[in-house]
Amino acid sequence: MSNNTVMVVGGGIAGLTAAWELAGQKIKVELVEKTCFLGGHSIGFTCKATDQCRQCGACSVEQMLANVVNEPLINIHLRTEIKDFKKGKKITAVLDKSDVDISNTGLLKGFSQHNSPMYVAGDKAASMPDGAVAIEKLGSTGEVKVDAVILATGYSPFDPKLKATFGYGEKKNIITGLDLENILRENSTLVRPSDGKEPEKVAFIQCVGSRDERLGNLWCSKICCPTAMRMASLIKHKKEEAEVSIFYIDIQNTPKEFPMFYENVKNEISFKRAIPVDIYQIENDRLTLRYMPEENSTPLYEEFDLIVLSVGITPGADTKPLSEKFEVALDEYGFLSNSGEGVFTAGTAKGPGTIFDTIADSEKAAHETMQYLGVI
Amino acid sequence: MIDINVSKEVLVIGTGSTGLAASEKIAALGYKVTSIPFASDNDAGAVNLERVLGCTGDFKADLTQKGKRTTTTFGAIVAAPEYTKEAMNKEYGLKLDDKVVTQTKFDEMLETDAGIKGLVNGKGSSVAFVSGYGQESCPENAEKILKAAQKVQSLDQCNAYIFVKNVKVGAPGLEKLFTSARHDGVLCFKPEIKPEFNQSSKELVIKSFEPVIREEMEFSPDYIVIEESLKPNEKTNALKTILRIDTDFDGFYQSNNVHRFPVMTNRLGVYVAHTTGDATNIALRIKDLLGNGTIQAPEDQGVVDPEKCVLCLTCYRCCPHGAIFWDNEAAIISSVACQGCGICASECPMDAIQIKGFADTSMKENVDKAVDSKKAIVVFCCENSALPAYNTAKILGNDLPENIRVVHIPCAGKVDVEFIWQSLVNGAAGVVVAACHEGNCKSEKGNTYASWRFGEIAKRLETIGINQGKIGFINIASNMAGDFTKKINEFAQKL
Repeated sequence: MSNNTVMVVGGGIAGLTAAWELAGQKIKVELVEKTCFLGGHSIGFTCKATDQCRQCGACSVEQMLANVVNEPLINIHLRTEIKDFKKGKKITAVLDKSDVDISNTGLLKGFSQHNSPMYVAGDKAASMPDGAVAIEKLGSTGEVKVDAVILATGYSPFDPKLKATFGYGEKKNIITGLDLENILRENSTLVRPSDGKEPEKVAFIQCVGSRDERLGNLWCSKICCPTAMRMASLIKHKKEEAEVSIFYIDIQNTPKEFPMFYENVKNEISFKRAIPVDIYQIENDRLTLRYMPEENSTPLYEEFDLIVLSVGITPGADTKPLSEKFEVALDEYGFLSNSGEGVFTAGTAKGPGTIFDTIADSEKAAHETMQYLGVI
Repeated sequence: MIDINVSKEVLVIGTGSTGLAASEKIAALGYKVTSIPFASDNDAGAVNLERVLGCTGDFKADLTQKGKRTTTTFGAIVAAPEYTKEAMNKEYGLKLDDKVVTQTKFDEMLETDAGIKGLVNGKGSSVAFVSGYGQESCPENAEKILKAAQKVQSLDQCNAYIFVKNVKVGAPGLEKLFTSARHDGVLCFKPEIKPEFNQSSKELVIKSFEPVIREEMEFSPDYIVIEESLKPNEKTNALKTILRIDTDFDGFYQSNNVHRFPVMTNRLGVYVAHTTGDATNIALRIKDLLGNGTIQAPEDQGVVDPEKCVLCLTCYRCCPHGAIFWDNEAAIISSVACQGCGICASECPMDAIQIKGFADTSMKENVDKAVDSKKAIVVFCCENSALPAYNTAKILGNDLPENIRVVHIPCAGKVDVEFIWQSLVNGAAGVVVAACHEGNCKSEKGNTYASWRFGEIAKRLETIGINQGKIGFINIASNMAGDFTKKINEFAQKL
């Protein structure tokens, strides 16, 4: 047993992986998560297998979460943030309960059987399901002393309201890629938010908030093209009559065997090289999408039941304050740079990456931390 | 658990930057590393790996050097494969010459004063880069093209043109590079259809439909730079056979299976390094595996009955983890390498293999117990996928049929034909085999074996005139309780 303790900030797949690797070398871990659940964005992802596994990694997140919650060397602090931080011989972090907005429904639910508690209830909760815990009972306060820190605070999905012409949040049945993940994870069939019906015609719009010079977002988020293709194929698999279109700038398909997958899905999915101009609501909660097709200069109007905005990865909302607190530099776009003294960084807090990029990067960050501590 | 001694020596195959990084990180943990070149055939003095016997923790590797053979024991093996770069000129109907060059050759030109002089040449040159029509391009190639194009554009009176199907910017810094190249004046065309090329001694011609101006354009560049692709080669193919590791559809290491990423293979103790970053991950995996030379492994995970074994080697061939070897009497299952999937036990024609916790006798008892009424629907649930999905469905209070009876199996590959048959003979209303999705099996092909056996049962039922609707085969992901509930209910309703 090593005498070292490492604080891992962030309980998404990056933080989970780093914590698990450290515990594997008998290092104690204080895992601090701001929200009420571990698993981050990706624990809400759906399996995208059709007849075949599509290597999206959603099940790997579930597995890692199971590993972590069953590991006694990892001490989990849900609904907790770092209020203060002092470097010295030991690093001192002051923990405090984080603000969680629960006002909407009064009840929050985890996505995984390993999310414990499964339900978190606020004052306004109508009922307390089995296994529910009152939110006041969650959260740690006080000081922890650690020998190193790994920042694994992840990303914020791009806020699609900044693209006003799309009308996310105003028009019905316009959802983000993350919304789509969560709907399928929960329901196993695709349903429209407005009426719970299965959509017949679905469009994906790529590069929402990525590759956008005007917004200063000069990066490709890397994950959205493979995800949209997997999702489109999944929708077709679940409902053969469904028509799916993907509006794109350039298709990115880096995962293994994806060139072949891309060729195959071209047969069932309509790829359109255009970024739509705007979207109008029409009858039956449907939507008309206007775009300039590649072939001629006449705008085309096409109707859909559901439109999915493939929102990109942007620097996490906490990244800037954390970078100041922990003295880790930001890159020109606001993602965390590699590492500081005794403070290491992992995962999408550093920039876009897939689940497997994140796992690999977090293993590397854990290795660097062990080297710093002299454990290996 | 029993203590097993393992070798603390590691063989690293590959002496490029990735292989060297792996050697360094592993050696830093106190393991003795033997580093040999990946492609050593061209070099008579180099060490070559000829054969690997044995198993995880105790690999016996035959190494030859100048015709001399030595056998060394290694606890683990790392492969840092070196694939072959292949010019794609044939895809464009072009011959390589002074003016039609590969990306590698062109990058070399840009590195030398003579090359730059040749391009500037008093009146400047126009250079066309083509990519993405012979193969899907990739961020690595895109970066090379963009950097070279930007360099060309910066030279006196030179212009760069890029013809590409999709600009692959899905890697750090590439969107910025692409934007700045365009701002510098590099023109990028993205025709959907492959442009036509004409190559004569006088000139090069590219004909293409330009999607932005929507016109046929004809263009005569001074140079055409051709993309290259990475291909598996004789050496990567040979080594995969020696190491008994699976590749993906394209022949690259390792199989396209989420349980392998980033550095694992189907064989415990054999790792793959593709990037220098992989080196640290491999070092951790080797530390987990070999520790200080004594490791704990489950006792009798898989046991071969020497009385029954006839050394037909079916188990050796079907074991996805390369965990089985043999001596003169019987097959032997390595306690360290065995993952307990049970494919060998179900395939063994002599019924000579038993898996701990899932021996034939206890499996049959479980099946008997499961068929507690004529209404029972027996569901064989793989512990890696359907079982956790079922457990979650129960925790979430999903509406499952009351009459389902779950039988825990280590992998769908452990479902014998006779277990399904026994369920039916005992009078079960229905039998379901719930396996992982194709490509997601921890044991690579356990679900495939199960589906073959299932097909066999279906044929038998058809022959004797029993409704095939009584049996079902479903694929479930571990995190999809809703899918499990839906598919089981669909099956139950059809009965």
